[in-house]
Amino acid sequence: MEKITLRVNSRDVEVLVEPSWTLLYVLREVLDLTGVKPGCHTGDCGACKVIIDGEAVNSCLVRAVHVQGKSIETVEGLAQDGRLHPLQQAFIDCGAVQCGYCTPGMLMSAKSLLDKNPAPTEEEIKEALGNNYCRCTGYYKIVEAIQLAAARMREVGAE
Amino acid sequence: MTDKGYAVIGERVPIQDAVLKVTGQYKFTDDLKLPGMLYAQVLFSPVPHARIKSIDTSAAEALPGVRAVATYKNSPRVRYNSTTRLYTQKWIENECIFDDTVRFIGDRVAAVAADTLEIAKKAVRLIKVEYEELPYYTDPLEAMAEDAYPIHGDSNIAGKIYQNAGDVEKGLAEADYVFEDTYTTPAVHHGAIETHAAIAYVDPRGKLTVITANQNTFGTRIVLARIFGLPLSRIRVINPGMGGAFGGKLEVTIEPVVAQLARMTGRPVKLTYNRKETMISTRTRHAAIITIKTGVKKDGTIVAQDIKVITNTGAYAGSAMNVVGAMSGKVYKVYKIPNLRFTGYPVYTNTPSAGAMRGYGSPQVFFAQQCQLQKIAKALNMDFAELQLKNLVDPDGIDQRTGKSIGNPRPKDCLRRALELQRNWQPLSDEGGKYAIGVGMALGCHGNSTFDAHLDKASIIIKMNEDSSCILFSGSHEMGQATITAQMQAVAEILKLPLDMIDVVCGDTDLCGWTVGDFSSRGIYISLYAAKKAAEAARAALLRAAALLLEEDVNNLDLSESHVYSRVSGKRVERYRVMEYVQQVLKEEIICTASHHATRAPGSYGFHIARVRVEKSTGKVEVTDYIAVQDVGKVINRLGAEGQVEGAVQMGIGYALCEKLEVDAEGRVRSSSFRQYKMLRAANMPKLQVDFVEEYEPTGPFGAKSLAECAVVAVAPAVINAICNALDIEIKDLPYSYRGQ
Repeated sequence: MEKITLRVNSRDVEVLVEPSWTLLYVLREVLDLTGVKPGCHTGDCGACKVIIDGEAVNSCLVRAVHVQGKSIETVEGLAQDGRLHPLQQAFIDCGAVQCGYCTPGMLMSAKSLLDKNPAPTEEEIKEALGNNYCRCTGYYKIVEAIQLAAARMREVGAE
Repeated sequence: MTDKGYAVIGERVPIQDAVLKVTGQYKFTDDLKLPGMLYAQVLFSPVPHARIKSIDTSAAEALPGVRAVATYKNSPRVRYNSTTRLYTQKWIENECIFDDTVRFIGDRVAAVAADTLEIAKKAVRLIKVEYEELPYYTDPLEAMAEDAYPIHGDSNIAGKIYQNAGDVEKGLAEADYVFEDTYTTPAVHHGAIETHAAIAYVDPRGKLTVITANQNTFGTRIVLARIFGLPLSRIRVINPGMGGAFGGKLEVTIEPVVAQLARMTGRPVKLTYNRKETMISTRTRHAAIITIKTGVKKDGTIVAQDIKVITNTGAYAGSAMNVVGAMSGKVYKVYKIPNLRFTGYPVYTNTPSAGAMRGYGSPQVFFAQQCQLQKIAKALNMDFAELQLKNLVDPDGIDQRTGKSIGNPRPKDCLRRALELQRNWQPLSDEGGKYAIGVGMALGCHGNSTFDAHLDKASIIIKMNEDSSCILFSGSHEMGQATITAQMQAVAEILKLPLDMIDVVCGDTDLCGWTVGDFSSRGIYISLYAAKKAAEAARAALLRAAALLLEEDVNNLDLSESHVYSRVSGKRVERYRVMEYVQQVLKEEIICTASHHATRAPGSYGFHIARVRVEKSTGKVEVTDYIAVQDVGKVINRLGAEGQVEGAVQMGIGYALCEKLEVDAEGRVRSSSFRQYKMLRAANMPKLQVDFVEEYEPTGPFGAKSLAECAVVAVAPAVINAICNALDIEIKDLPYSYRGQ
């Protein structure tokens, strides 16, 4: 076991981890952040995406000991002060949520995109979701929701 | 006829649990942890067919942290059918928790419960098994040979399904042309992003509770009762909601394993399959070989059709008979073919068990039929749409076997609307001959409810609170299809309540009324109807009490969001005052139960048009444009309905182009991860137009009928027909594999 410090959703946490433990395992099993979803353990489905230092990555492929000291965002950190993030609200409004299992990973991929590119094109959105599987929605309403959230965030930013 | 001035029905309503899902607070099965919980791991068979000569678990048991090792030697050997629905039903029962014989690579051999998953995994590797290998089959045609070694009983043919209308030989003799073709479809994986997971615990009275991602909680309870010899009152099955299912979670798979480990250890046990385990050891869609012989007149009238199907049902019976049975019924709902025969054989092989999957037999048979019909239209030099219109059923359509109505079938309206939408397409360039462009269309059909196979019934309970808000108790299971949302819409509509005044308890066999599970296209058609009836009963009870309180004829009373009022005298009273009267004066409660059962199984229809662009040098296909028009009777939730069709297009194009659970000659699944098993990504999706025909199904709630399964049926044949037209070739095998010239 090794003691590491992670900055998770803007809070520093100390955890004891085995070198073999993935970040996915630590987030879910040690820190009880079960919004981070396992779907494949091979980095192909994107359900476990979290944002590490600004980039959306599959937490199933990252060893926890390798992200010591890094800033990690999970779906649990999206809503602030009881208010949904515009992406979360847009996912609801557009019907981008069906079973909800891919949703946290989709949201993190989308957030990482909008943090860098507040006005993405449809192609850029699809590219940002290139490693996220959804089996329910055909992705249409997810793409639409990201466009809506981006528009709403730009509107607020312009005020 | 369909517009009744509804407040909520037909609107765009987000799925009721969306806030939980976007915040990561929705607890799926694997997200749950119970105090003292153990973790389980299963040992899977590495050989396709063998008797277990010896099994030594001593090293595993000796490992610190291991609490139980279950094998066929210490577990009940009760045989069950994994898709059981009714207590008295007798279906082929040839699966058990663990057996002394393994029948496919991925079959369960043993399971360990340990303090941690790491220990459980380590322990599984310490179990020593000696196998005496037996002959095995991966190909159903070999398995069904008379001298084949039987996987169960004395034949690998699980059964025969036979349906007939008219005289097929006579019809074929009278035809101007007869076409005969054989098509094949592969086994595929459901691809729900949540894998299979279950948790079981036993209380000191011996009551077994299983929390599981399973679409059939009441049926699962029956199977567990048989295995463990318990009364149903001593088993509780809870579904906390599923991260997708698509039929893959209909059948009992891991529940008896965790239940057995929980009984052995007296502690809660969780078992979660990873992706590979889910792919090789749960269920697949049946691979099928479909031979169709069709007789037509010169003018395109279909006079006879003979359909012969062999399905690969894998190692255990499960849905063997049901899927082929369902398939056999669907073909009688589509065309006015007077002479139509269906013969189907589900065949055991030493491959993963096939089971239910979205469409339940329809994707296979309609792929074959729709591809052959396009070929026939071409041969007759006839427009394919014209051939369809000549033969499709009209709203007064009947099942040719029985002469009975098939509801208010509207496939022709779907076709016409799809053709209208096609005018919105922009021209597509072939970029100087680099690409071949083709348009294809197909009709898809699916049923409503389990009526054709067995009883279909749902019972829903509504409990009114003091403030006239209410709780809905529904045996339905949430898996993204928004069936619970639809039921809440019905309650909101009838009780004139805002949606946030309604909450729901669902998928719990102890708390909810009995219902057939969430499959067989019955959520809207049956369960929603029961919810509507329960709401009507609650409304009537509220009005009866108000009539006493107001001293007014109940027939004069009506509901508003806040009041009960008389349309005649103008008397009114707040709804909470009525509830106060019920509870404090009458000393009663308003708890209403209503049941609804199927009396008919109408058809649902979809007509789809696809446009593809095929790179000539590589054969690479891009589906550029897509139109899906579905006959749903009445849209209950427009947002949800669109979402179902959009998801179906993703799944259907995958079925056409890239999805296949590849089993090699040794019986090993080759595509057993998402690395190898490719599904469509966001960038692969075509421009899509979705529309609905709403012409009111008289036996459906608010005129509605099923959608989500039906929507997947037409997709693969529409795409394949488009490719055939683009390249001027015939394609008879899924998935598409042409690699250019």
